[in-house]
Formats: sequence, C-alpha cells, structure tokens
Amino acid sequence: MPGLYAAQGIRKSYGTVQVLKGVSLDLKPGRMVTIMGENGAGKSTLFKILAGQVPPSGGTLSLDGAPLALASPSAAHARGIYLVPQEPALLPELSVAETMFVGALPTRRGPLGRVDWTAMRARARAALDALELPIAVDRPARTLSIAQQQQVECAKALLRGCRIILFDEPTSPLTSHEVEHLFSIIRRLRADGCTLSFISHRMDEVLEISDEVAVLRDGLLVDVVDRPSFDRTRLLSQMVGRPMKAVPRRSVSNARDEVALEVRGLSDGARFHDVGFSLRRGEVLGLAGLVGAGRTEIAETVFGIRPAAAGEVRLGGETVTGLDCHAMIRKGLVYVPEDRARHGAVLPMTITENVTSGLLERVRRRAGLLSARDETRISASAVRDFRVRCAGLDQTLRELSGGNQQKVVFAKWMTTGPRVAILDEPTRGVDVGAKEEIYEMIDAMARDGMALLVISSESEELVRLCDRILSVYEGRIVAELSGAGITPAAVARSYLTAAAPSGGVAA
Amino acid sequence: MDMRAPANANAVTPRNRRRLPVGGWELALTGLLAAVVVGFGAAAPGFYTGPASLLGLTENFLPFGLVALGLSLVILTGGIDLSVGAVASLSAVLAAQLWSRFGVDIWAAAAVGVALGGVLGLVNAGVILRLGIEPLIATLGTSFLYGSAAVAAAGAEPPSGFPGGFTALGTGTVDGVLPASLAGLVPIQLVVFAAFAVLFSALVARSPFGRVLVMVGYSPDAARYSGIRTGRVLVTAYAVSGAMASLAGLVLASYYDAVRPDMGDVLLLTAITMVVLGGVSIFGGEGTVAGVVVSVLVLGFLRQGMLIAGFSDMVTTMLTGAILLASIAVKNLFNRRGTGLANQIWAMIRRPEPPRANPS
Repeated sequence: MPGLYAAQGIRKSYGTVQVLKGVSLDLKPGRMVTIMGENGAGKSTLFKILAGQVPPSGGTLSLDGAPLALASPSAAHARGIYLVPQEPALLPELSVAETMFVGALPTRRGPLGRVDWTAMRARARAALDALELPIAVDRPARTLSIAQQQQVECAKALLRGCRIILFDEPTSPLTSHEVEHLFSIIRRLRADGCTLSFISHRMDEVLEISDEVAVLRDGLLVDVVDRPSFDRTRLLSQMVGRPMKAVPRRSVSNARDEVALEVRGLSDGARFHDVGFSLRRGEVLGLAGLVGAGRTEIAETVFGIRPAAAGEVRLGGETVTGLDCHAMIRKGLVYVPEDRARHGAVLPMTITENVTSGLLERVRRRAGLLSARDETRISASAVRDFRVRCAGLDQTLRELSGGNQQKVVFAKWMTTGPRVAILDEPTRGVDVGAKEEIYEMIDAMARDGMALLVISSESEELVRLCDRILSVYEGRIVAELSGAGITPAAVARSYLTAAAPSGGVAA
Repeated sequence: MDMRAPANANAVTPRNRRRLPVGGWELALTGLLAAVVVGFGAAAPGFYTGPASLLGLTENFLPFGLVALGLSLVILTGGIDLSVGAVASLSAVLAAQLWSRFGVDIWAAAAVGVALGGVLGLVNAGVILRLGIEPLIATLGTSFLYGSAAVAAAGAEPPSGFPGGFTALGTGTVDGVLPASLAGLVPIQLVVFAAFAVLFSALVARSPFGRVLVMVGYSPDAARYSGIRTGRVLVTAYAVSGAMASLAGLVLASYYDAVRPDMGDVLLLTAITMVVLGGVSIFGGEGTVAGVVVSVLVLGFLRQGMLIAGFSDMVTTMLTGAILLASIAVKNLFNRRGTGLANQIWAMIRRPEPPRANPS
C-alpha cells in the first residue's frame, strides 16, 4: 500500500537555536503514529517541516522511497500531505463548502471560467458524508465550533486527495465527547489506509488511539514504542528525561482566617451563572475544568474587564462590583491573563516598560516626567526577585523565552503589592525549569499572605499548588475539593463526571 | 518575599544597554538633513546667502511641522487624523471672523481658534469611540464637515490685513530676548516649533501619558488588561492633534496675512509624509518625536532647495514620493525587531552566540 512517508535525519535551527537535531521517523499507511514531548521539544516544528510549511536545515524526506522536496504547503497538498492545524483558520465569512474549496474552486467550462457552485456544494457534501459529518455545507464557517472546524479540515484533506494527514494537537481545545468523535473519524481514516500522525500531551488519548508512540525530547527522538509495549511510566519518564515522581503536594496551608475576596451569585448572563466562592488571605484556590468551561470569563468579570449581569464582588469586605479594572488594580486585585502575547505583555516594549506598566503611579516623577533612574530601580529589583534571565533591562520581551516573559508579567503585577491575584494558566508555554520556579514563586506569594486564584487545565498543576479546588462545568461550580481529596484523578473526575450524560456531581 | 536571594539568580543586576533615546533611524535622517542642506548650499545659488536666509526658509514649512507633531501622537496610537487640514482652515477662518466681525482682540480670537481645534479633535474621538467608526473613515467624514463649515464661515470676502503684531507670528523674528548678535536671525515660527518639539518629545518619551500612548499603539488589548483607560488616551491624542492643526492654521493666516477656507488643504499629505518618514509606524507604537522633527526639516529644506534651484513643483513632489518609498524600504530591511533581511544577513556573518530564547 502506498503512503510510506519517511523523514531521515531532519534538522532545524532558528537563528542559533537548534530545535531539531536529526530526527528520523517513518509514517506508515494504516497506522497512527503519535508524537509526544514537552513544550519546546520540537514537535510542532517537525510537523511543519513534514507539511512543507518550513524548510528543514538538513535531512531528507521521502515518499514511498522517492526523495521529496516540499517548497510550500500547497506542494505538500499536491503530494497528498495535509496538516490539520491546532486551531483551524477557516475563513469566517465563507460558507463551509467555500472554505473547503478555497484556492481550488471548481469552475465551469467556457471563457469566463465561472465557479460551479452546484458541483462545489455536491462535492463538499460528499466529502463530509464520507466521514459521516452532519454539517450543512451552506453554513457560515464562523458558526462552527473548533471541533467542527477540525472535522471540516479532515474532509478538506480527503477532498484534495490527501492520504497522509497530520494533526497538530487536535484534542487540546476539545471536550471529551468531541475527542471521541474525532477519534472515530481517525479510526475510519486509518481503516481506509491513510497514513496518520498526531501530537498530544494527553496520555489516555495517546494510549487509546496510537499504533506507535514516538517521544521527542530537546530536538531528538528518544524512544519509539509499538502498541504492545505501551507503558505510561516509561513514556512519561522518556519525555522529561528523568523518572516521574508522584505529584508533590504542599503539606502546609498558608491560609489565614481573614477573607480577601468574596464573590456571590455572579453571572455574566451568557457564559457562567450563579458563581460564588470566598478566598482567604494566603490561600491558593484552584479553578479546574475543561477548556471553554467559563473559568477565564469568571476571572475577567471579577477583575472588572468584562461586565457582570448579576452578583456581587467584595474585596477585603468592601463592595467593588461594577468597578473597571483600572480601579480594581488600585484596590489591590490583579489578573495575570492566559494569553500572554495578546493581553499580558507588550512584546515590542522593554522589560522595564512592561514591569512598570501595571501601575505607573509608583514611578517617581521629576517635573511631571517619569524618573528613568527610579524606573530602572523598580525593574532591576523585579528582575532579581523574579529570576528573569535577560541580557539587559532594555531588552524587549519579544527577545525572551516564554518562561522569562511570564516571569516579567508576574513581576509587573506582583510588584504593585496586590492583596488578591488571579493567575490564568500561569505556566502555559513555559519550559519545565521555569515552571517549577513559577510554582515556587506562587508558594512564596501565598506565604506572604497574598490570596491567589489559579486557573489551570493541568490537573497536576492544581494539585501541586492549591489548598482548595473548585470545579467548573459549563459555567457553574459543580464540585469543591480540599485536603486529602485533592489528587489529579479526583480533579479530572470532578468535572468530567459533570460532563457525563447522567449529570452526576462527584467530589 | 523570601526569594530575594536565590542561589541561581542573575549574579549581576542587568542594566540598560542603550542610553540614548534616539536610534539608528534618527541618526540616518540627520545625515540626510546634513546632505540636503550642504548639497543645496553648494549647488543652488540663492539657497544659502547667510544664516538669516537659511533660518528664514523654515517659515515656509514649519506650519507643516506643527501639524506633524500633533498628528504623530495620533499615529502612535495606531490611528490617523485626516481632518487636520480642514481643522486648520476652520479654526483660522473662525478666529479671523471673530476679529473682523465681532471686534474681538486678535490674540484672544486666536486662542479661541486653538481651543476650537481641540474641540474638533474631541468630536473626532467621539465619532471613533462612540460610533465605533474606523479612524480613517471617521476623520475623512469629519474633514468634509469641517471643510464645508469653513467655506460657509468664510463668506464671499474672507478677512485679511491683520494687526502687525499678529503677522509677526508667521513672518517676524525674535528680537530683544536673544543676544543682540542674533537679532533679526531667528524666526518666531522656529522658536514656537522648537518649543513644541521639545515638549512633545518629552511627552512621548518620558511622560506617563506618552508611555500609555505607546502601549495603546502597540497593543490596545494588553493596555486594557493593564488597567489603562484606553478611550481617554485616544481622546487626548485626537484633541491635541486638532489643537496643533489649529495652531498651524493660525500661523498660516499670520504668514499670508489673510485666511481662505481651503488654506489648510495642503497640510494633510505633507504632514503624514513627515510623520511616516520620521519613523513612526502607521500600525502604532513605534517611533520617536525626534525622528519626526528631523524629518520635518529634511522634507522642508528639500522642497525649498528644489524650488530655489528652479525645479518645478511637480519634480519636487515626485522626489518626495521617491524618498518616502526608498526610506521606508531601507527601514524595513533594518527593522528593529531583527527580522529584516539586512539583520538576517548580519546574524549569519556574526559569530554565533549561545542560545538564549527558546522558540516553539
């Protein structure tokens, strides 16, 4: 059966940073090969090279034994290779059928070469039907969920005659139900003899769907395992390069009696309803849940950047409902957003400018102008306290790694002396070493008496950090875990049970 | 916090590496300015007949510079103000009418004119923020409104023949304040422009307002999440742009000793060119007032030199367009984010450094 896609000694450098250091991998027809590895291991880069999006710095690709040079994604499509991106970028204003045919619209014969809309719709319908996808072809693409967009991408791949399909972390934005649906499509494609590969972090999914698992670490392929010898512990330890410890759990709580933040009956009228909790000084409270459960919306409403429809927010006993985030920051409530590049930091500005931007009033003035010396002093001490690795305070954030960017964003808020801090996915896009440092910083802030609300999609992270965990499902708090009840499995179970058809709540 | 002395922290506190607020772009423009002035001085008889004539040339183009200073604030936010020409005309016409019809003192009328410019800027900001209209469209629309209001206010015979004190604003020199050796040398316009240039430079580079202005320009979302009331920043920027345009209109009125309802029309495109050539990105955030100031002088002296050398307006305009395109192309080759072609070539030649950042 044709469709053997082989990579031999693939290397890739960006500037002086080597991302891939010689990776050889065979993708075979009728098999699903999963690429695992930590952030920065080079998984996405490998996929981009396989799909013709970036050229390799060295190494060769071959298809069924013949060498292959891919100049562009469309060249890859022509050879039958298709990459489904993590968050598909369908053109929002076009119909489903149109997005599937973008760049290759079927035309009628004749001098005008008019688009053959009837044929287009019929062929789009057929491709969707082949995967048993009940999506109307005339729907505007913007009305599709991310899961449906991925499904359309799969149909699009088939439509272009692509038999080698790569999925870049398809499951991370999906609910478990949607993951099941995607997997049924993948099984169908596999039975049909397609060559498949995907990237995932979720062990359970990997063990369920894969025929073969390849583990990347620091740009090298460290292990390739066949289905019969799958072993959770082995894969995990291969990924991080050291044996996994059981998730460490904080033995002491720093929580004091004094309530720092109290939320009652908060709703935004759309994404979440009747949310209530209280957070004490020194306490670390976690918000667990699926991506899209409404946790970020809750945090943004508390912070005052998103309007509340009903409910009350009290900060240290004072009612602050309805204040904007400018006022909230000055009352001592700060929010470290999930999307660092868009909301958390201004990447083209310097470390110093970013650090002081959270509260410019604290910089001393001379004749109404910001004192450069005082600004440097604030920034230098922030960089020291938060262990930011940089060449100079006037480096732009764009030049720093994800972990160091995140430390700067932490420094920006924590140096304003807040009473309450909301941390939304505090370690997203951060490498393993920096992750542990950030955990230590969060512990230290709690010891100092700061009240912390942590949103995370990694159960292990919440278990590591939190005194108490609230589980959010579809905009409602469905469970509360505390003390010995906090384990990664219990955290995941707490919201997944709510997602089960019975709708039961487990704690 | 008890992480004050971690074992693996930076051994030495990192310092700033750059001290000057100006970068390569500003220096390159200064070189270009020197080339223009020296070049015309040598090749065009009549361009340089003494320091007084050289400084006197600036009276022909500094109104453009005043508009460019105000406009640079708006462009730094990532917006645009196409109404500056109409604002200049309307303010000048109304101030002149206040003086001629209602007998208001000319300086008081001028002050009302500048204040009116600020109000027109507020209207622009209101249209952009309240009605949610793109700055380009919003200010295009208001420029028609303001422009026709100026025509209506001017009437059949617009006022002219202002008192001598007022015409000195556009054509006089500073005497008495400066040392006697400089008497008759420095145009009042130049002093006004220099004062605003210093003010705006400090405002953008080091004031709290300038900092949030640049933040809003680079990333309105990040600014909002940092608790910055972005609407207020935009309102201020458009109001300042309107007031500066009015000031330019009044200087023009003084220079011509007359007003016309279309007198501001020439200001717009040249002022935008000055701001962009000065290194301010039309996407917002990037750029310095120093660059804009030098670019005002470059384009101003270039135009005056070409006219003195006997070239037609058409050739001069063509050359301005070519310089704008060429300089932006050069700037993109060396852009600050280090992704330009020239930077990449340089990175290949340079000795490799140990990796610092980790992409992906």
